[in-house]
Amino acid sequence: MRISPVVRVCLLVSLFVAISCSSRVQSAPSEQTFVAHHPIVYGLTLQPSTFDPQIGSSSELGIPLRSVYDTLVYRDPTTKQFVPGLATSWSISPDGLTYTFALRQGVKFHDGTPFNAQAVAANLDRITNPMNASQKAVFLLGPYTGYKIVDDYTIQLQLSAPYSPLLDSLSQVYLGIASPTALSQYSVERYQFHQVGTGPFEMLEYVPGDHLTIRRNFDYAWGPSFYTPSTPDSVDEITFKFYDTDESARATALENKDVDIVGELLPVDARSLTANSDVELLPTVIPGQPLQFMMNTKRFPTNTLAVRQALIYGTNRDAIIDAVFQRFSPVAWGPLSSATEFYSQDVVNSYAFDPQKAKSLLASAGYTDTNNDGYVDFGGANLEVNVITPNWGEIPEVVQLLQDQWRDIGIKLDIDPVPSATILNQHVQQGQYNLVAWYDFGLDPAFLNRYFLSNGASNWTGYSDANLDAELNQAAASTDDNARASLYNQVQRTIMEQALILPIRDYVNLNGSRSDLDGLSYDAYGWFPLLNNLKVKSS
Amino acid sequence: MIGKVVTTLAVIWLAATLAFFALHILPGDAIQGELLGSGASADEIAQRRAALGLDAPVLVQYENYLLGLLRGDLGVSLLNGQPVTEVIGEQLAPTVALAVTALLVATILGLGLGTLAALDIYGSRSARLVLDVALSAPIYWTGTLAIYIFAVRLNWLPSSGSTNLVLPAGVLGFSAAGGIGQVVRANVRETLAFDFVRTARAKGLSEARVIARHVLRASLLPAVTVIALQAGFLLGGVVITESLFIRPGIGRVLLNATLKQDYPVVQGIVVLGAVVYTLLNATADVAYRLLDPRV
Repeated sequence: MRISPVVRVCLLVSLFVAISCSSRVQSAPSEQTFVAHHPIVYGLTLQPSTFDPQIGSSSELGIPLRSVYDTLVYRDPTTKQFVPGLATSWSISPDGLTYTFALRQGVKFHDGTPFNAQAVAANLDRITNPMNASQKAVFLLGPYTGYKIVDDYTIQLQLSAPYSPLLDSLSQVYLGIASPTALSQYSVERYQFHQVGTGPFEMLEYVPGDHLTIRRNFDYAWGPSFYTPSTPDSVDEITFKFYDTDESARATALENKDVDIVGELLPVDARSLTANSDVELLPTVIPGQPLQFMMNTKRFPTNTLAVRQALIYGTNRDAIIDAVFQRFSPVAWGPLSSATEFYSQDVVNSYAFDPQKAKSLLASAGYTDTNNDGYVDFGGANLEVNVITPNWGEIPEVVQLLQDQWRDIGIKLDIDPVPSATILNQHVQQGQYNLVAWYDFGLDPAFLNRYFLSNGASNWTGYSDANLDAELNQAAASTDDNARASLYNQVQRTIMEQALILPIRDYVNLNGSRSDLDGLSYDAYGWFPLLNNLKVKSS
Repeated sequence: MIGKVVTTLAVIWLAATLAFFALHILPGDAIQGELLGSGASADEIAQRRAALGLDAPVLVQYENYLLGLLRGDLGVSLLNGQPVTEVIGEQLAPTVALAVTALLVATILGLGLGTLAALDIYGSRSARLVLDVALSAPIYWTGTLAIYIFAVRLNWLPSSGSTNLVLPAGVLGFSAAGGIGQVVRANVRETLAFDFVRTARAKGLSEARVIARHVLRASLLPAVTVIALQAGFLLGGVVITESLFIRPGIGRVLLNATLKQDYPVVQGIVVLGAVVYTLLNATADVAYRLLDPRV
């Protein structure tokens, strides 16, 4: 019998279809093991390379995992005070080198393992094991040297030098406490798929690139003071999906009810969503460094204070925030965003937009427009500054506006675009820049040391001042909040008096949620939702 | 036969080598990118890189990489230590589903529109126009348009997610249909001029029967090769399509790994692409034999 070619093609094609269908069945695991009452979908905006908080460094991993783990201490989102978590109380030795934690009793991990000092020790061992190559947690521990188990519910952490940010570190998800049973059961590469904590949600499954699902832990009874008890309206299952590649797809997904919550909306999308009553916006200021331009004090012409000050006076931040950020961001006035601990009001309104003052500062420094081409001159050439411009965070759009605004005060701006932090670092190392755009996150201002100590790893301003160094070092070592507040106040003032940076705006995460949800709020670090408190509105 | 095997291996080696050197020309790597903002000192970053062999001279790294390839070892991700074969294995199914469905759409659309465009009947001009659009419009444009029309405006289909195959496969298939349709159209036109077609018509066969029994059969053969070539095009298309429609799969992994400079993952996927591409060409050869009794 001869089979006609058309039939053969059809056979081939149906074979392909059969293969594709069978593979689709395989890729959809059975999830219907329990009845969920209030499941929601949360859109993530990045795919972390690992969801293991002790190994990875991504902020995004904390959005689901912050609620899977508890930490020894928590920070109250409103007062920013440390409150008990898995540790009920703690004390710091007078020399600042020993932290003693009294641990909560009766706490069980999701797999039934009891929580105790040995569990904390197992976690510290894992984080500090060089073989595990922790990308963030190990660095958060600072000058940590080891622990001592005093009894089953008391553990001491030892340091080689005083380090006031330790409690802040211990309250972050990266130092969340995982079940020692699960840690020993899975390799360091596989544990991210089988994470077990003590938190208000337990991890169900993670399918890379597709979703991560967590389910409420109804045995949870040891939450921090700001966690509300669960009720029948509480959200009990959350599926996280990835909206990482196409930023405008986030708003579409929210409008189409594909997601219930999503962060990092584009400012223009958020602006148009304000007209949609089914969607609520929750713009959240992230503590840390505002978007800012660090000015190189080692290179002409930003080596002159008057020029640096003129650049700040010549910048209309309100116009930038209107145009680029759709008015969703507060103006930044100093090196700390307004949600950061020890943020000082003293710098507010310093260098408010004043182009005339900018021009007179330039004139007083000897720069005037001698050939009437609109730009002020120096030695027969236009006065130029260049800006290392990362391609993320709307920075290129901001720099475009700066170019226009600074033309008005007679300064020419050259743009040096960089596509990654690595290449930014390279261009900085070469030293041929006047300004570099940057922002970073953190609640404790000890991160300023990195940028403003004379020998700081990222001292991109090149500024070197023994007084500033002493203040920064004292503030990072002190455990006295009042002393720290006054030291950081002085630090912020010095940085602005010396015009080391041009701050633009506080970083704002533009979160949106469906209006039928209630209780969405974010923790002290700004990125991490308090999923425990999420409820559906009873209709 | 031996020649074929040698060519295949050479293609795979070339792809692997190109991928390796293209990535290593770029400054920086995954470790630097990930650790720069996490408080690690320059010394600590250097130690991490050394532990992964990233401080070795490029040629030594290249040699280790090729030796690994020979053993079937694609290495491990620099960022989470997961074996690359495992990363690919986890993400293969949704990509295969997308690519195969898209190829099916492309084949049906390409054959149908190509044939229609070759004739001179009602709808032929429109078919030509549609094929031109399919051939020249980039996927991100047709894809965005499709999302806007079908997901946002009409709300018929979800714009994202792993379960929905209709929109992404439709967009990707439409794009690939352009190439297939152009070839089919040219072949059909060519075949129409042959004597045996005139003979068939002279026998008094209906036009439909002439086309279906005689013309299409003769024009189908070259189309098989072009369908296989379009399957190669689809491999590139999935990267954009998966990102646009937020589907899991190899394309998304490739994009993320490239942005994070996770070399072993990128190299592994490029090698996989080369293997699939050469296998598809071999399949086309076999299909050719099946369809044409003369070969």
